Amino acid sequence: MNQTWFSFSLPDFSYAFLSVLLEGVPFILLGTLMSGLIDQFLPARVMTRFLPRNPFAGVCVSALMGLVFPMCECGIVPVIRRLIAKGLPVSNAVAYMLAAPIVNPITALSTYAAFRGQGAVEFTVLRLGLGFFIAALVGMAVYNLSIGSVLKKEVLESVALGSANSGGGSGAPLFRRLIAAMDAGVRDFLDVMLYFILGAAAASVFGTAINQSIFLPLAMHDGLAVPAMMTLAGILALCSSSDAFVAATFVSFPAVAKLAFLVFGPMMDLKLVFIYAAVFRRRFVFGLAVGLFVLIGLICVRLSVIGL
Amino acid sequence: MNATTSRFTASGILLVWGIILVYFQLSGRIASYLHPDFHVPTFIAGIVLLVLSVTLLFTLRSVDPSDGEDCGVRHPFGGGILALAVLLIPLLMAVRISQGQFSENAVMNRGLVTDSADLPTFSSPIDPALPGESETPVDGSIMDPSLYLKKNADGQIVVETVDLLYAAAEEGMRADFENKSVEVKGQFLSARIGNPGGNRFQLMRLFVMCCAADARPVAITVQAKPGTQFPEMTWVKVIGTATFPVEGGRHLTLIEADSVSETEPPDESFTY
Repeated sequence: MNQTWFSFSLPDFSYAFLSVLLEGVPFILLGTLMSGLIDQFLPARVMTRFLPRNPFAGVCVSALMGLVFPMCECGIVPVIRRLIAKGLPVSNAVAYMLAAPIVNPITALSTYAAFRGQGAVEFTVLRLGLGFFIAALVGMAVYNLSIGSVLKKEVLESVALGSANSGGGSGAPLFRRLIAAMDAGVRDFLDVMLYFILGAAAASVFGTAINQSIFLPLAMHDGLAVPAMMTLAGILALCSSSDAFVAATFVSFPAVAKLAFLVFGPMMDLKLVFIYAAVFRRRFVFGLAVGLFVLIGLICVRLSVIGL
Repeated sequence: MNATTSRFTASGILLVWGIILVYFQLSGRIASYLHPDFHVPTFIAGIVLLVLSVTLLFTLRSVDPSDGEDCGVRHPFGGGILALAVLLIPLLMAVRISQGQFSENAVMNRGLVTDSADLPTFSSPIDPALPGESETPVDGSIMDPSLYLKKNADGQIVVETVDLLYAAAEEGMRADFENKSVEVKGQFLSARIGNPGGNRFQLMRLFVMCCAADARPVAITVQAKPGTQFPEMTWVKVIGTATFPVEGGRHLTLIEADSVSETEPPDESFTY
């Protein structure tokens, strides 16, 4: 059989698509139920009281919050949407959103386990360190943008109203607040699932139809291996808790290319492009995708030059 | 959509999702899609979705005139008709169309793993010893393999493709299987390379970390009687002798088959 670079099959697509949905739904549901509870029980601006007032320190602390509140990349979006509505600065929310799927104990352990025998400690530290650095850098970049250029109109309106309404439904009886939390959680679930389904479909088309051997010749060249692996991470849209096991199998690729795969993938992939669109303006999501690709790519190519 | 209609619609969407998640668990279909670690979370999510679906209906009376406002932003549950279609149609079509396994084409797109060094979690011994090199003698104190190797009624060792692939690079494991009679199940794939005599095929299983979407096809080589042929991806049972000849500078897992027969897919279609 001749292998072409692209060959689509509906049953294969359906199989991969369904497996991504079945795997992702529990985490999105958890995230959206948490977002509902945050909506009703977390007083507005309480987050900002616990964060450093200095914007840079605030963004750095936010990028480390995944160590205490670990979330995967699918579940975190509804949570940060609600936290933004509750007054968390957008720069802090973006830093948390980008860093939490990488800078968390589960990802650290899985990366260490996957790279046993391949410099596991160094690789784990590099992944978490670079993930933190990129998230903090992007957070600071977002700090300098106007909120209107980042958030979707609907989310922007919720921020304005959230600021005016200081305590969710704090005056209402507990039962009504629980019902309201459920309503908010269900609404978020359906909103995020809409984008997740589109993203999972896009990732499944490319994950099953593209002949992945076309990436292999690029392994020999550091300058091409890094963008090739980031492109592959974007296409495969793997879960951050397990992507290290897949990356570790690309033995012919240099370590920096695997590092780029493991930092770029949890921050931006085909399904995340759609999920981010539930909160952010399309232009911002596009800029974020390009910016992350260039930034992570340049840093990893530079790391290869210095001998990593 | 008004508040009541959108609440009914949302309840219906959650009901469909909940039923499908619970059905996959109870029917056992989930085993063809997810790693066992994800079965319980998916089942719990299904139950929670069913509970939410029912609760949405029972709390209909608690809907006040301002319902539909989420932090002041008016939009109904689940959006409009288009959103409803996106939330349900792809899911239902995928459930209907998915065959619970990849075709040969998707497997080849992923690339066959025929060397354990390309497998996740594999930590290579310092130097996989080739014949003629200084091999470390197997320590006589190692546990008797018959204590941990499962055998069938005919006394053949029942083994997975992935174990034999690991064994090729690990001297201790190789000793457990080398020149012994084994039974191994997998999916038939014609050999595209390394088939000088035209009597070899690949026996493949999917190695999964989380779900089918991240599956890596793990394949070993089987040498059978000339003319042994099955449709691609047919589940077959191979009984034969495990050998590890050196080909291409490394130990290759090669089963010299005594018999190859079509078989039912195993309960667990993946290896982990």
